[in-house]
Amino acid sequence: MRVRIRFEKLGVMRYVGHLDLMRFFQKAVKRSGLPIKYSEGFNPHQIMSFASPLGVGLTSEGEYMDIDIKEDVNSKEAIKALNDNMVEGLDIKTFKYLPDNAEKAMTAVTAASYIVTYKNPKDDICYIDNLLDLKQKFFDEAYAINIIKKTKKGERELDLKPLIYRFDLSFKDNVPVYDFLLSSGSSDNIKPELVVKAFHEYLGLPEFDDLSLDIKRIDMFTGESDAFISLGDIGDDH
Amino acid sequence: MKKLALSDDILMQIDKPARYIGNEFNSVIKNPADVDIRFAMCFPDVYEVGMSHLGIAILYDMLNRRDDTYCERVYSPWPDLHKIMKDRNIPLFALESQDAIKDFDFIGMTLQYEMCYTNILQILDLAGLSFLSKDRKDGDPIVIVGGPCATNPEPIADFVDIVYVGEGETSYNSLLDLYKECKAKGLDRMAFLRKACQIPGIYVPAFYEAKYNEDGTIKSFGPIYEDVPAKIVRQVVINMDESPYPTKMLIPFVRAIQDRVVLEIQRGCIRGCRFCQAGMIYRPNREKSVEVLKNQAKELLASTGHEEISLSSLSSSDYHALGELMDFLINDCLSEGVNVSLPSLRIDAFSLDVMSKVQDVRKSSITFAPEAGSQRMRDVINKGLTVEDIIGGAHMAFEGGWNKVKLYFMLGLPTETDEDMQEIPRLANEIAKEYYATVPKDQRQGKCQITISTSFFVPKPFTPFQWAPMYEAGEYLRRAKVVNDEMKAQLNAKSLKYNWHHSDVTVLEGVFARGDRRLAPAILDAYLSGCYFDAWGDFFDFDKWLAAFEKNNISIDFYAYRQRDLDEIFPWDFIDCHVTKDFLKREWNNAMAGSVTKNCKMACNACGCLDLNTGVCHAR
Repeated sequence: MRVRIRFEKLGVMRYVGHLDLMRFFQKAVKRSGLPIKYSEGFNPHQIMSFASPLGVGLTSEGEYMDIDIKEDVNSKEAIKALNDNMVEGLDIKTFKYLPDNAEKAMTAVTAASYIVTYKNPKDDICYIDNLLDLKQKFFDEAYAINIIKKTKKGERELDLKPLIYRFDLSFKDNVPVYDFLLSSGSSDNIKPELVVKAFHEYLGLPEFDDLSLDIKRIDMFTGESDAFISLGDIGDDH
Repeated sequence: MKKLALSDDILMQIDKPARYIGNEFNSVIKNPADVDIRFAMCFPDVYEVGMSHLGIAILYDMLNRRDDTYCERVYSPWPDLHKIMKDRNIPLFALESQDAIKDFDFIGMTLQYEMCYTNILQILDLAGLSFLSKDRKDGDPIVIVGGPCATNPEPIADFVDIVYVGEGETSYNSLLDLYKECKAKGLDRMAFLRKACQIPGIYVPAFYEAKYNEDGTIKSFGPIYEDVPAKIVRQVVINMDESPYPTKMLIPFVRAIQDRVVLEIQRGCIRGCRFCQAGMIYRPNREKSVEVLKNQAKELLASTGHEEISLSSLSSSDYHALGELMDFLINDCLSEGVNVSLPSLRIDAFSLDVMSKVQDVRKSSITFAPEAGSQRMRDVINKGLTVEDIIGGAHMAFEGGWNKVKLYFMLGLPTETDEDMQEIPRLANEIAKEYYATVPKDQRQGKCQITISTSFFVPKPFTPFQWAPMYEAGEYLRRAKVVNDEMKAQLNAKSLKYNWHHSDVTVLEGVFARGDRRLAPAILDAYLSGCYFDAWGDFFDFDKWLAAFEKNNISIDFYAYRQRDLDEIFPWDFIDCHVTKDFLKREWNNAMAGSVTKNCKMACNACGCLDLNTGVCHAR
């Protein structure tokens, strides 16, 4: 039986990297007593996989991991058993049994939503008056947004436009707040920093620093752009 | 959200920020307002090393069992953060509350190895405290140190207020009770220390004075007040089964060196190897009962979720019920997906059988620690291991499918000749020969791999070799070359590999191990010139140390290279480790005569521990 677990990673947990988080969960699941399945072989390990890793410094309301379990456990009880073994900043939200044909979280992700703002309320961008108009021109009215993306193999040209499914802009205390829905997953993984960087370049702002952004992932989705489904909406409680 | 001492911009620019945020599962959270005593427990090395240390885990659990005490953890900030903290004047903080430790009641540091001494100064420096005990004022924390190097704390005596000599489980509660009482009465720092030094095992360096002979050796050492005890008795846990042991252990986010349950099965060792300080100072050998260990293993695996358990002791093969304990771990834990990792066991049929059950034979290696290559040398160091034991063990291992062997040796042991050194690769060659004789050609997975590692011997206080001279760094390297040359001349040279340690740090370790109070100014100067994390090869700067020694007229020759007289007063003689100086002298003479001393289970050698009436002595 495969189960999908949705959890939050907030607060100080943003400083814990993906590999460290995976190791934390292996031990937490073990402590919780859930009947997780182990692989065969000399060094058996838990059958557990995570959807797209979250970078150090980012928070999230919608992280997912899939685990295989040996016997049916009531979803509410499982959530409690897991939460008894969490630390501040990690919170288990759902525990859903996946249908047999469900794709693994790791490969299923096609999009992710983010709320992005600036850590410094006096960031240069806060002094641009007609930002909403500029954003309209940069995104909504553009046919293409061509950027150079650095990859492991070198650089390649990329059109961001079809990979940005939502780019909304609002303000909180004068500081811009972006609401993004971006292509995610193994093929066209668009990080929010990349979009903001392109926007900054369009605005003609000086050098952009990834670390100036406060990024929170909100959720992850599967399916095609006309009908995204949250990874958390698949499967049922038991 | 939990408060953090470091801002986001700092955390995002340093390596492994999770070292500094606390929040680990099983960490203890108390309201500082609810306690009388705030204790910062520090391992003066990087987080991943410090978090692996069992002694701190025991004390952290024990002190936090007290409702009136909040014990939190501190580790050495890595140089990237160190620089930022210095530049921006950020005071060193404890992980749990993230509060500055300069406002705590105690800062406790463990001295696990001599090369951490500058890291002690780093902690005091970043905390914002004076380096010297005499410069600290009422209201500053009491700086207390313990651990194996506390058996000769003199090189750092000027930096600390209290040295706790011995096992922490015994006197900490009396010390904290006294502190609380003194604090309530409004007594000052000196008044508290004066009372504290009456507690067994508590040494307050400020109350003692050393006088020196013209040749630099100690003329006399003793208390400056009449009511201050002249001898400090090392504290020993009498009943290991009833001694506090944590039922939970912290789960670090950043992977620690020991990412597993560590179960201490016994303390002390029956063997009496003459170079080994642990084998002397932790006497007598005291075992835990197998029932207690089974319960602790189960409880710890459940509360941590670790998928590996490792047994901790100086010589696990000597534990009386190892078979029963291993059966339990294999039957009850292995099936639950838990690996059992084995400490260095003596290689015999039993241990090979156990190992084949818990390890992948093809991937793992068999380790022998003969410590010396020739039988003569092994008799000098009292390592009761013969060539037949080693070749026989290797033979069984090869039959069992292993083809990798690791061998550990020391160079620079007392009386060592070139012939003794050459015996090291010859022994390795014999093992390789045994492989080719044992395993038929069609069953071999390529060549066998015999890896020889040598470290350089450092004489330690409270060992029979405490009188022995060391050699200059160049001589150690010459010895390593003797081994290397002889290895190349072996028939099976292609199956052998040789690693050796750097020698500069060995000399320094030797200076500190048997040093005295006069070293403190040099250690301080070394720190001020940029030395810290000396235990890390990347950061060790021998030239800075040499400069600090020169500036303070410290002669390496005096501390490391000279042969000490049997009647010399040593800086650590005022400590009573239960093992008597007479016994150590006897053992030194036995070493020189190449005569072997029986282990504690076979015969009592009157080392001085019998009066404690516990452990292996009591069993007699």
